[in-house]
Amino acid sequence: MDKEREKEPGRDGAFTAVPRNLQFRVGLLLGFTLLIAAAFVLYVLYARGVFEPTQRLTLVADNVEGVSIGMDLSFSGFPIGRVHKIELADDGRARIEIVVPVRESRWLRRSTIFTLERGVVGPAKIRAFTGNLQDEPLPDGAERTVLRGDTSEEIPRMVATLRSVLENAQTITANEGSLQASLGNLRLMTQRMAGPGGALSGLLGSEDEAKKVLASIDRANALIASMSGVARKLDAVIDKTDQRVYGRDGLMDGTQRAVGQVNGILAEVRDSLKRVDRILDDAQQVSGNAKAATTDLRALRAEVDASLRKVSALVEEINRKWPFERNTEIRLP
Amino acid sequence: MSPEAAMAWFRGWAHAARLALVLAVAGLSPAFYTPRLRATATKQLYFTVWQVFVPFTLFSALLSVVIIEITIRLARGYGLGVYALELVITVLTLELLPLLTALFVALRSGSAIATEIALMRVSGELDAMAAEGVDPMEREFLPRVLAASVSVFMLTVVSCAMALIAAYFSMYGLSPWGFSEFTWTVAEVFTVRQLGSIAIKTVLFGVAVAVIPIAAGLSATRDMKSAPVAVLGGMVRLFFALGLIEVLSLAVKYV
Repeated sequence: MDKEREKEPGRDGAFTAVPRNLQFRVGLLLGFTLLIAAAFVLYVLYARGVFEPTQRLTLVADNVEGVSIGMDLSFSGFPIGRVHKIELADDGRARIEIVVPVRESRWLRRSTIFTLERGVVGPAKIRAFTGNLQDEPLPDGAERTVLRGDTSEEIPRMVATLRSVLENAQTITANEGSLQASLGNLRLMTQRMAGPGGALSGLLGSEDEAKKVLASIDRANALIASMSGVARKLDAVIDKTDQRVYGRDGLMDGTQRAVGQVNGILAEVRDSLKRVDRILDDAQQVSGNAKAATTDLRALRAEVDASLRKVSALVEEINRKWPFERNTEIRLP
Repeated sequence: MSPEAAMAWFRGWAHAARLALVLAVAGLSPAFYTPRLRATATKQLYFTVWQVFVPFTLFSALLSVVIIEITIRLARGYGLGVYALELVITVLTLELLPLLTALFVALRSGSAIATEIALMRVSGELDAMAAEGVDPMEREFLPRVLAASVSVFMLTVVSCAMALIAAYFSMYGLSPWGFSEFTWTVAEVFTVRQLGSIAIKTVLFGVAVAVIPIAAGLSATRDMKSAPVAVLGGMVRLFFALGLIEVLSLAVKYV
């Protein structure tokens, strides 16, 4: 037994040489590994923001499906915060608590808008949009409502709409559908158009109808022909009337002549009155002494003058009322 | 499998579990930490870590670079490049490299431990120790368990560190400007829960790598022919145990 015990250290020595500074080497390696492990843990803690002041932000959403703890809050594509906690509030709305390192919180302002988007592929995304970076900074513990945009929610709605559209299309294109019926009607119509009645029977539905229309047109033509005969006769009547009234030796011509004669008579009357006037002048000169007679004569002369003026006025009036000089020209002032 | 074989299989597991409990109690009692234990443990560590440190580190770095390059390229090809870094860090540092390290230590040290204990059993050395009043627990078992646990931990740390460095350079090349995004991704992957789970997993791997071979070695008899059978059974059990720990940790984390 002792022999065996003594063999033990030799056993190791026989197969592998144990170096003298074994403890130092192993200690060195162990220390090195522990250093790496400690450095790594510190790095992870640093990465997780343990050594950094942070601020909180609570987003309120109707539905936080797809949101998970540790998810990023991104701004312009850069992650600036992490989801720390998700909980359901008493009012049934979900609250997403986000931790943002203070050095990143400068991107968040009072006017910042937060959105929660879910794509078809990949996780949900919480994004922040800040329009005005000069705005007041977002205070710690702020609470904001998040706007949702959900592609996967849109899809069922879209599919439902699409399905109804497809159903409609199917109904339209079905054998008994309206499109087929319309096409059938169209075919029938084109057939008729190609038939004896032509386009008219296509439009009116049957050949008989088309014939009726053609007959009506014929009748209308005949009517128009007879109407033109009537019109011609009417023209002749009008021509005659014109000749009678305005033509040579017509009614109007006679009248004009009569008035001309009246004018002539009146001119003669005026001349004779002028002659009387002259005689009276002579008489006044001859019998200058006969004062009484003169006074009477003067009165007589005044009477003659008045008659003369009346006749002149009459002539002028006739001329005005019957303008024989057909002066149709209208003179505008 | 005959009922006897099944019983033997079951007994083997029960034996390993009991030994693990006893060793855990021993490992937690300061009275066992004698200078002799420390000396033996140091010697074991020298064999399990020092001798393989550089080759293993290089191997894990090479493996990491290849896997990371392939993953990142494929992910970029599919337009999912942003998820690639997170994916490779998660898969490599949290799952693949710890398991690979444990398998490596099991292959190298676990088999050696099983053979050593089985030979001690065959030669009657352990019985002699017991007769002399020397506790084989303090003298042989506990140092090996401690050394195996520490070596699994050390090699895991080194290989994971290599993987992280390889991931950075594969993703961003030599540019320093990827650092903040990289840090963000690291923070995403290594949550407190993940750190805890990888620590527990590494400890379990380390314990299993030593305890199961010791239990297997102890199942040998004075018959010389029982040694290979014991070592073989122990190594298969160790393989399953490591797989089971990995599956359980995955189930706890992701299911």
